[in-house]
Amino acid sequence: MKNTLKNPAVYLMFIIPTITLYGLFFLYPMFSSVFYAFTNWNGLDETRFIGLDNFTTAFGDESFRSAIFNNMYFIVFSVGLQVPIIIILALLISNVKKLKGFYKTTVFMPSILSTSVIGILWGFIYDPDIGPISAFLGFFGLDPIYWLAEPKWAMIAILLTNAWQWVGFYIVLILAAILAIPKEIDEAAEIDGANATQRAWYLTVPLIKPIISVVVMLSIAGAMRVVDIVLVMTNGGPAGSTEVMASYMVNKAIKFGDYGYGTALAIIIFAFALVFTAIYQLTFGKTERIEY
Amino acid sequence: MPTSLKKAVPHAVLLVYVAIILFPFVFVLFSSLKADNVEISQSPFAFPKDFYFQNYVDAWVQAKIDVYFFNSTYLALSTAVLGVLLAAGTSFALTRMKFRITSKIIYQCVLIGLLIPGNVLFIAQYILMMKLDILNTHWALFWPYTAGALPFSILLISAFMKSMPNELEEAAIIDGLSAPGLFVRIILPLTLPALVTVFIINFLGNWNEYLLANFFINKDTLRTLPTGMVGFRDAYQTNYALICTGIVFSVTPVLLLYAFLQKQIIEGITAGSVKG
Repeated sequence: MKNTLKNPAVYLMFIIPTITLYGLFFLYPMFSSVFYAFTNWNGLDETRFIGLDNFTTAFGDESFRSAIFNNMYFIVFSVGLQVPIIIILALLISNVKKLKGFYKTTVFMPSILSTSVIGILWGFIYDPDIGPISAFLGFFGLDPIYWLAEPKWAMIAILLTNAWQWVGFYIVLILAAILAIPKEIDEAAEIDGANATQRAWYLTVPLIKPIISVVVMLSIAGAMRVVDIVLVMTNGGPAGSTEVMASYMVNKAIKFGDYGYGTALAIIIFAFALVFTAIYQLTFGKTERIEY
Repeated sequence: MPTSLKKAVPHAVLLVYVAIILFPFVFVLFSSLKADNVEISQSPFAFPKDFYFQNYVDAWVQAKIDVYFFNSTYLALSTAVLGVLLAAGTSFALTRMKFRITSKIIYQCVLIGLLIPGNVLFIAQYILMMKLDILNTHWALFWPYTAGALPFSILLISAFMKSMPNELEEAAIIDGLSAPGLFVRIILPLTLPALVTVFIINFLGNWNEYLLANFFINKDTLRTLPTGMVGFRDAYQTNYALICTGIVFSVTPVLLLYAFLQKQIIEGITAGSVKG
């Protein structure tokens, strides 16, 4: 009977299609990226090996530098501002008795929708002429704001849209961790006279540190690879004020055929993501396993 | 603070947040039923005066939402089905068949795929499509969608299969089932909950995918909903009622799926992100 599960032909039949697809669409692109990044390939001219030129160009490239800065802005906003709000909302949901399921289902909803459709939807909401925000500002006699057309507002508009889409997702992640904490711990603290705020701050938050750490990591990773929403809402404009690394890379490579340079940018993005997560892991992200 | 007030404060905060989440949906739904921009801008928060269903007819045919909808549906369905089947077969071979060392190496190698963000591979994949000469065909989306979902699918299905007891398959083998028979008749039915979860996650991901769809396809009749919608917005920039109708068309299937399968969807998506 052991031979049935030792049949190499059957094994290969199950493995080969997956390995082929994986090799072709993951491994090959990964290795060819590394190769192209050191060339000047543009699809037309002869490919030449140009060493680190693409990388030096990238860091001297004013537009790319401002794109890096915008990604940092994204990280600061989503970690510094979003994460505390996420934790507070998750704590609130975990403490209410009624409507818990309703809150969870509703807040999660935006994260299953297409980012491009959300971009279109919010483009309408931000519309200075007929959008509801303008109408709302109008009640107070304020002038409409050209959210997506003014450099000082465009980035904030995108960050708010992005938050609208993803905050609920993270709330559900943290909520699951909170609900997994044994009830007895909380009850014991309550008997000892701790009020709800104290229990949340001194008990629940320390116990869910590992998942908070995961949320921070995911936020950093998400902020590093953000692209769809930028392409749909502003395509990097106005005047490059919302350009992020990935949108810059995509436009450079596809529109101008600068594939060698584009893949170099891709590797820089990957390196940034690795460095940031590594730094976080080694500093704040160090958490020990929690046993109840 | 009185107890009743204490209880009311969290609900008040949460309801404000829920209102922020729901407002855009309601707004779009109302706007899609309004006659034109004038009605939207004059009374943005009001209920539509009379239901102007003509928008739905116009958007469906005139704006080719029917084409995008069909493309999205069959691409998302076929890639999700194929992806799940491939992942299930591979997971079966990796977790239940007796090639321990090979399986371990393949498994680790596939999991590396979870660490690489899709954007990073984007340009190299574009070049690959160019070389395979399938840019501007649905194959350029079909293969990356199918392949892209494999690492996560294998991770989840393998975890599920590992937890199944050995006795079942031993009994089946003694009864004379071959390995493929065992897979189809015993393992697949038992893994069904995991397969459904993985299928839904893949379906949603491919239904919503924008980046590849935008750059690998530029023929209008081949577009999927996310890219078709953007083109639609750019073409009808002045007619917000019609654009809202398009939005309703593209989010309704997902919301329906969510209404029935929210538990699986939430579990699947959160599991995917945490383990990935």
